[in-house]
Amino acid sequence: MAYDSHAASHGKSLPANLGAPAFVDGWRSRAIQIGLIFSVIAVVLALMGQSLDPEHLGWDHFLRAWMLGLMLTFGFAVGGQALLMVQYCSGGKYGLLLRRPLEAMSGTLLLVVLYWVVPVVFMKRLYLWARYSNAQAALQAGLITQEQAHCIAFKHAMLNPADYIWAGLVCFAIWAFYNWRLNGLSLKRDTEGPERTPYWIKKFENVSGPGIVVYAVTMTLVSIYWVMSMDVTWFSTVYGLLYLVEQGFQVLAFSIIVAIALSQAEPFKTILRQTEQHDLGKLAFAFVMLNIYLNFGQFLIIWSGNLPNEINWYLDRIRGHWGVIITLDFIFHWVIPFSMLLSRDIKRNKKRLTWVCRWMIFAVAFNQFWLIEPNFKDAARNLHFSWGILEYAAVPVAMVAFWVALFCTRLKGRPLVQVNDPHLREILEPEHAHA
Amino acid sequence: MPAREGIYGLLAEFETPGDLVRAARQSYQDGWRRMDCYSPFPLEEAAEAIGFHRDKVPLVCLLGGLLGGSAMFALETWISVIAFPLNIAGRPMYSWPAFIVPAYEWTILWAGLSAAFGMLALCGLPALYHPVFNAPNFRDGATTDKFFLCLEALDPKFNAAEARAYLEAFQPVSVVEVEY
Repeated sequence: MAYDSHAASHGKSLPANLGAPAFVDGWRSRAIQIGLIFSVIAVVLALMGQSLDPEHLGWDHFLRAWMLGLMLTFGFAVGGQALLMVQYCSGGKYGLLLRRPLEAMSGTLLLVVLYWVVPVVFMKRLYLWARYSNAQAALQAGLITQEQAHCIAFKHAMLNPADYIWAGLVCFAIWAFYNWRLNGLSLKRDTEGPERTPYWIKKFENVSGPGIVVYAVTMTLVSIYWVMSMDVTWFSTVYGLLYLVEQGFQVLAFSIIVAIALSQAEPFKTILRQTEQHDLGKLAFAFVMLNIYLNFGQFLIIWSGNLPNEINWYLDRIRGHWGVIITLDFIFHWVIPFSMLLSRDIKRNKKRLTWVCRWMIFAVAFNQFWLIEPNFKDAARNLHFSWGILEYAAVPVAMVAFWVALFCTRLKGRPLVQVNDPHLREILEPEHAHA
Repeated sequence: MPAREGIYGLLAEFETPGDLVRAARQSYQDGWRRMDCYSPFPLEEAAEAIGFHRDKVPLVCLLGGLLGGSAMFALETWISVIAFPLNIAGRPMYSWPAFIVPAYEWTILWAGLSAAFGMLALCGLPALYHPVFNAPNFRDGATTDKFFLCLEALDPKFNAAEARAYLEAFQPVSVVEVEY
């Protein structure tokens, strides 16, 4: 602060040890325990669903819930990498705070690839276009409707098993490339002196700028393949963007939880200031707004058009008691985070902000349930209890828990603060720099 | 309403915001309450130093937004259901999805206007007269590069001679007595 000669003397200094605190190991072992317990529950539920439910869809529900877990972990891993790139381009002190947690999130990509192998193997149970490659025969056998048969034939160029696998592999390869680039350069940057900082700032901007565009395209592609194509008849041009915003939403929520939890010990105790916590809360609030904006926009356009090839997607998700779920989704996903994050006091309070962020992650999962389950004939316009449907509360928990365990390993892997950055000096200044 | 004559307060001038905030914080700790800080740009620390934690602008903004949103939604409902029902593509008269967008716009509009005008009203603006402008150094520098702390005569601790000595201990550029 140029106008205050006293400020400089109040600056804090970084602790000598920048490694992740020891309690991160505790998080990891607890995550593994939760993962194992919920894996057992998931298998039991699948067996119960298979034998006790009238439809005998236990393992099908297991797979559908698996897709929910895949989208969540994919959102954390690839969305985390996207936020990292956005921050390299936009700057901002909050980013210095989150850089290493975000790198740790992006470093979990391999687990997401493993999770993705399951839908590849069991493609025929999830996607009509994979099950009935000969649409005409399936139509004549009365297995699918006229519309579905038409769409399967019409979209065959994109929606076929070989392209599904290829698109996934190419996208994973692209994300892995950026992962290797960003995480490798980041460590290299730390080893060099402050005179190289301008070079590194430019370098990261040059890597990240195109990376953000590539991310938007590849993420749109896989969200169409993985989730939207479960209903072969429907399409929406804003679908990729919906997932993009959802990823920003969940990644910010998770990063805030991690940053606040890490601030119980050094080095985050020193570098997490209330100012940046408040900024992160505001950014999360922006994503809450953007999310409802896009979701309602899509609904309003389709509702206004009222076209038979579009409106059924919503009718499948409103009629037959699904209206209860979407009403709750609106409350969970928008009303509660919006009203909570509106408050300055909640954004500045560590404990309360953590609770809001945990709630936000739950809301993302709840929204995915509403997106995924009604794609299937037994559930569309017919929300009903079955043992299988409880899988949505078991499989994703286990998958995210294992993901968190890997995240903790990655977090331990490198210093928690990037030292060669001009923001570091600013973040070490006391918050009331004038006094 | 106190009598508008005699001393309004003592005005100490500082060179830097840091000096102002330190003086203000110390005065607040020493029990001064009727006081104010004047700075050419927003200085959150100064507001905090003299105990301004909250104001009612957020509440005014929230109420304005809620009123605006519900007013527009009610207007649209009244028009479409009661006053001038039209059959638009066979949709129900009460087609709430179509009402959301204008209601949302009015929420924003009224929240914004309430925040702006509520802030002005709560600040007591427009004010045609304020005694601190009687001080020549305030007139010259309060909006450019000078920082002022005013201990007001309404404070029970106030005594012209003691308050002057108290302020001079902070080594300000000057301490000026301000008349109503």
